[in-house]
Amino acid sequence: MIDRVEEKVKITPKNIGTLVLKGGSFFGLISLVVAFSILSPFFLTLNNWLNILRQVAVLLIVACAQTMVIVSAGIDLSVGSTLALGGCLAAVAMSYWGWPFLLGALLGVTVSTLVGFANSVIIAKGRIPDFISTLGMLGAVRGIALLITGGLPVPSHFTATTLKGYLPRVLIWLGSGDIGGVPVPAVIAGVMVMITWFILSRTAFGRSIYAVGGNREAARESGINVDGVKILVYTLSGLYAGIAGLVLVGRMNSANALMAEGLELQTIAAVVIGGTNLFGGEGGILGTLIGGLLIGVLGNGLNLLDVEPFWQRVVNGFIIIAVVVFDQWRRRKIST
Amino acid sequence: MVTRNPVLVLKDICKEFPGVKALNNVSLELYPGEVHALLGENGAGKSTLMKIISGIIEPDSGEMYLDGRKVQFKSPKEAMEAGIALVHQELSLVPSLSVGENIFLGRWPQGRWGVNWSYVYREARELMRKFDIDVDPRVPVRNLGVAEQQIVEILKAVSQPHVKILLLDEPTSALTEHEVERLFKLLNDIKAEGKAIVFISHKIDEALKISDRVTIIKDGEKVITEEKGNLTEKDVIYYMTGRAFESNVSSHNVDPGRKAVLSVRGLSAGILKGVDLDVYAGEILVIFGILGSGRSTLARVLFGLQEYRGEVFVEGERVEIRSPLDAIRCGIGYLPEDRRKALVFQLSVGANITLASLREISRKGLLMFDKEKELAERFIDELRIRTSNSRKRVTHLSGGNQQKVLFARWLAKSPKILILDEPTRGIDVGAKFEIREIVKNIAKEGKAVLYITSEALEALEVGDRIAIMRGGKITKILPNDRRLSKSDLLAEVGGVVKV
Repeated sequence: MIDRVEEKVKITPKNIGTLVLKGGSFFGLISLVVAFSILSPFFLTLNNWLNILRQVAVLLIVACAQTMVIVSAGIDLSVGSTLALGGCLAAVAMSYWGWPFLLGALLGVTVSTLVGFANSVIIAKGRIPDFISTLGMLGAVRGIALLITGGLPVPSHFTATTLKGYLPRVLIWLGSGDIGGVPVPAVIAGVMVMITWFILSRTAFGRSIYAVGGNREAARESGINVDGVKILVYTLSGLYAGIAGLVLVGRMNSANALMAEGLELQTIAAVVIGGTNLFGGEGGILGTLIGGLLIGVLGNGLNLLDVEPFWQRVVNGFIIIAVVVFDQWRRRKIST
Repeated sequence: MVTRNPVLVLKDICKEFPGVKALNNVSLELYPGEVHALLGENGAGKSTLMKIISGIIEPDSGEMYLDGRKVQFKSPKEAMEAGIALVHQELSLVPSLSVGENIFLGRWPQGRWGVNWSYVYREARELMRKFDIDVDPRVPVRNLGVAEQQIVEILKAVSQPHVKILLLDEPTSALTEHEVERLFKLLNDIKAEGKAIVFISHKIDEALKISDRVTIIKDGEKVITEEKGNLTEKDVIYYMTGRAFESNVSSHNVDPGRKAVLSVRGLSAGILKGVDLDVYAGEILVIFGILGSGRSTLARVLFGLQEYRGEVFVEGERVEIRSPLDAIRCGIGYLPEDRRKALVFQLSVGANITLASLREISRKGLLMFDKEKELAERFIDELRIRTSNSRKRVTHLSGGNQQKVLFARWLAKSPKILILDEPTRGIDVGAKFEIREIVKNIAKEGKAVLYITSEALEALEVGDRIAIMRGGKITKILPNDRRLSKSDLLAEVGGVVKV
């Protein structure tokens, strides 16, 4: 077999087609934006777009971590529950126990991080599939959140009127405030996206994630601490969930044990739509950003068009399938 | 002496592949109830012949007659239906299914309520009783050892209806002596039923023991077919290689002055039994043996991929190698037999080259892309890796260049010891040459190289010393002086020279 690797650079109409192929979900996103702009006069307003960013921020934060996990050939099904636990604990601390914001936040985020760490240890040392371990955590952690809150929202009417009561203003600001017109959640999400991008593309750790996800055995044979990488990745997932939890509680002005139910599947959808390979080794944050935005735009647009919520679910599901089918098709096209 | 009509006749079979004539007018007759060994060097054409008989490929010209009737198999299925069963070297059983299910795979008898399992197991037990095999047919195949799995594979082939001919490819390469005896007994029983057996082997001593007749192929041509009684092992070697074999090669005497970079004492793991070895700086020690003899196990053990008992010393110091990281810290680098295990195809050439050097190309955890590029380009240059740049995905490279990427990965770490498992397998001729030159240069720079190969010519070309591996043991270590020949190596591996 003779090696014929050469760089061929030509500008042809075919190349433009290739660009579309390479664009993948980005073009899906653009199409949706165009479609909704035509169908609704409110879609392209600044207000609406700020809304979209606010809505999609929590999803994006957690999806960043999910991106790292999936690139490492893992999956984290427990992020929604972890978010809820962290958020509830923070809320309980700040409203029931009267803790200052910083301490309460630290508690919530720390516990979430520990959940992530527990996940990672079970997966790495227990040698059970990521899917199973995080699936179990999904249920167990949600249960713990329910136990802690007694199934009631935090703060409840009771705490609001009789005890210290309400959540610190900082927390509320975190979820519902603005910085120079830009919603705080969006800023936080933006920061997390950049940090994650940095980790994945600019650090040795990030390179290890790709190696472990792409070929675990090869990574091991190159002296990479595979277990260590997995542990760190899942721990970060917990950390991100904790941060997202604070934002969500701030936005909803209360916490409850069932919040963010189903978030894990949405994050996986965002990652996959973004083109990251579910089997690991390929992909990145840019794709997740596009995927998250696509989900946000879709939800927002359907709302503006007054589509019934039940129909929205159906449409959501099918659009996700369609986008991924297109993406897979274009990958095959590119590789031939 | 068989006087019956032949069950299989091959007449003037020819087969050509691009650039090489694999078979040139090969003719053969096979009689029912005989065990026929097919011997020859690597690449002589034995496998090609087997593939033609079993219907995997078609000959370019020539004829095949089965029981006197002319046949032309367009697929293995046709051959199987005609009564020719092939047992591959890599077994084709389903590990999670039971022995009984595997033997009747795909042809389980249907009753009124689905598969008649009691029939399946009864028949399986009957089959094993007939051949005196002691395996529980209900056991899942993955619980069995390699030898027993092979027996199941053979029973599967033999239990096919109308089977007349059984083809075996290297049946004994992964078996211990005792298991080989058991296999031979099975083959004899099958033979007694009137079936014909053809098998390929590199183990000349065993082949002569079990077979009735022997055919030797050399460079695509049949050299001779002869009754086993009329051939000595030395004759076989001569026919296989064209050169007589001199049995006066002595074991290499170690120069007591030199210190070994890598020493191994009493190493046992898997099929390896008490291996002792020394590898010196600046030398290429070839481990020469056939598949299954334990060579890859040795490599994996030394790189921390498998547990072992025994002692390993690096530069005189005792070390415990429990993981690849331990091995790397001892200065060992490793190219596995299957480069797909070591390459991350989604990453670029540069990323693959620097994969074991992440610490060296990053500062405080941050990747220094200029350092990565520098390191990658240095080796792309040095090893002449043909790629337009270091950012190209490694999937786009040819096999030979991919292999060079792996070399680069380890050379980047300046290892003391390099373990190479079949480094030129699956690569075109030109790249093979380049790789061998690279290895020789590595040794010249003072590194110790452990080079595993099953090709005699390659062993002779690169090795300073050649260690013969057979059945998990190093039987002999030969100095590669000008008198050593291909025949000598084949004789050693073939068991012709008794240890």
